[in-house]
Amino acid sequence: MSTPKAKILVVDDELGMREGMRRILEMQNLQVDTADNGTQGVEMGVAYEYDLYFIDLKMPDLDGTEVLRSIKLAYPDAICIVATAFASIDSAVTTTQLGAYRYIPKPFDPDELVHIVKIALERRELILQTRRLQEERQKRMIEISREQSRLRTIISALDDGILVINQQGEIVLFNKAFLSLLELKQTIAVGEPFQTVLPQDMSKQIEALLSGNEQFKSIQQEIIIHPPAEKVVMANFTPIIGNDGTRIGLVSVIRDITALKKIDVLRSQFVNMAAHELKAPLSAVQGYLELIVDKALGQSTDLYDHYLTRSLDRTKALVSLINDLLNISRMEAGTLRREITSLDIQNLIEQTLSSFDNELKQHDLTIKTEFENNLHVLADQHEMQRLFNHLIGNAIKYNVQNGSIAISTNRDGHYVKIAIQDTGIGMTPEEKARLFEDFFRAKNEYTRTITGTGLGLTIVKKIVDAYSGMIEVESEFEKGSTFAVFLPASE
Amino acid sequence: MKKILMVDDDVDLIEQFKPVFEQAGYEFAAAYNSREGLETFKKFEPDAMIVDLSMEHFDSGFVLCHRIKATERGQAIPVIIMTSAGQDTGYRFGTDTAEEKNWIKADDYLEKPISPRDLVQYLGEKIFKA
Repeated sequence: MSTPKAKILVVDDELGMREGMRRILEMQNLQVDTADNGTQGVEMGVAYEYDLYFIDLKMPDLDGTEVLRSIKLAYPDAICIVATAFASIDSAVTTTQLGAYRYIPKPFDPDELVHIVKIALERRELILQTRRLQEERQKRMIEISREQSRLRTIISALDDGILVINQQGEIVLFNKAFLSLLELKQTIAVGEPFQTVLPQDMSKQIEALLSGNEQFKSIQQEIIIHPPAEKVVMANFTPIIGNDGTRIGLVSVIRDITALKKIDVLRSQFVNMAAHELKAPLSAVQGYLELIVDKALGQSTDLYDHYLTRSLDRTKALVSLINDLLNISRMEAGTLRREITSLDIQNLIEQTLSSFDNELKQHDLTIKTEFENNLHVLADQHEMQRLFNHLIGNAIKYNVQNGSIAISTNRDGHYVKIAIQDTGIGMTPEEKARLFEDFFRAKNEYTRTITGTGLGLTIVKKIVDAYSGMIEVESEFEKGSTFAVFLPASE
Repeated sequence: MKKILMVDDDVDLIEQFKPVFEQAGYEFAAAYNSREGLETFKKFEPDAMIVDLSMEHFDSGFVLCHRIKATERGQAIPVIIMTSAGQDTGYRFGTDTAEEKNWIKADDYLEKPISPRDLVQYLGEKIFKA
């Protein structure tokens, strides 16, 4: 290891002494600077920290003790050797008190000098090493405290709750989210046993995990937080393994899954209702076909024909229900591809009306239209057709024989307003309130023979929402309904 | 001729049961909700009633049974609940004990699906057994 040359300052007013020491020390591969009086000695000695100072005690301008004092003030660790031809107990005591490393009487022979310097430099090296270590330690301490505060900041900023428990069951660390997620009002002291703090079911789980001998990787537990709000959290427990491979505690991460749970419930409700609605027409068809196949009513064919027609109707209803379901799921999955073009509203409605020619004739319905010129919306044509199919279809289906349908369009602020008014069976306020519920269908003597999926208006609402539009409904039971759709107008 | 009143909101079910009952020699009337059910019960004076549970509201069949059993004629005739409520909800009502019968206000409880022929056979063998 090549260490830089040690630097020595010799402060002596005697030229012979200075040059003699320089020669001897330079032969030891040391670098030597000299000062030929006390003032210069202080100047040089303070300006640079030498590894070793040789200070003559008796100098005409400034006493060696003053030089020593100044240097020790600047560098408390400095190794100063005081040399003097006038050795006395007094001066020895004074210089030692000032922090001189050694006090040597002049004259001294070269071997003695080399020996003293060698030992002094060893000491110097020790001091430097200690100093380096201390600096390093200091630096690391700062880093560690920075790291710790960074970690603490991160942990406390997390939305997920964090809880660390040691093998003795004492709480070691937790964050704010942990307290709020578990709705723990009191503050927790580090070192508190977890049983006094945590909800019972969570406590039991942790107890089992800590007392069990077998290793576990990670365990999930759903915890329902009781009053005041309905809240479900998912707690994840992971063991903390020490260097020797034994478990030294566990960390629990707690996450609010209330919203996910609600979606889950809604989804399974929807599936349940959908299954129910799919089953109904199939059961009906099955019933009809059984009667036909069994010839349960003898050979009388009139009724069987009627049953076949009903079966066909029910099958068609089933297919349109499945189409509606597929449509909804496509819209919800966001996989629906929309081809946005500027669409003429009058065109759209007239096209839809012509597709209902047969139904209109069947019910002897009169159509009145009132179109404002040149109204356009930016939308997907198929989706708009589906929207008006459902609305005009409903106005026909739920109308009375010889009734009428009035369709008007006009500009309303930034929107195009399309109003579809029928003279049909209308709705009671209760029915109107549930109109947009999935699978809801008004049930009364008028609707009994009208087939429908109960999803038409769910789809209408979804389409209108997709274009940031609005829908308004007015209805009076046994008088009729008006559906008004507002879609953003395109210029 | 025995008179049967069936109360069910399922139009197809009525369409399927009516001709089979008529062929078996019953006079058959249908109602599609509990309000109509009660009215028809008073006018038609049936010898037995078959009542669905979940119509417009889940409890409407129960309410109808209560109203019918509160009348003198209702006390005298068999009222049979026929429902898929058990299949839909997983909950089954029973008429095994007098207490249960009194609670649901019905004389028997049948789970759907049940074919028209089976129901005719059931009525002949269990309800109208001379």
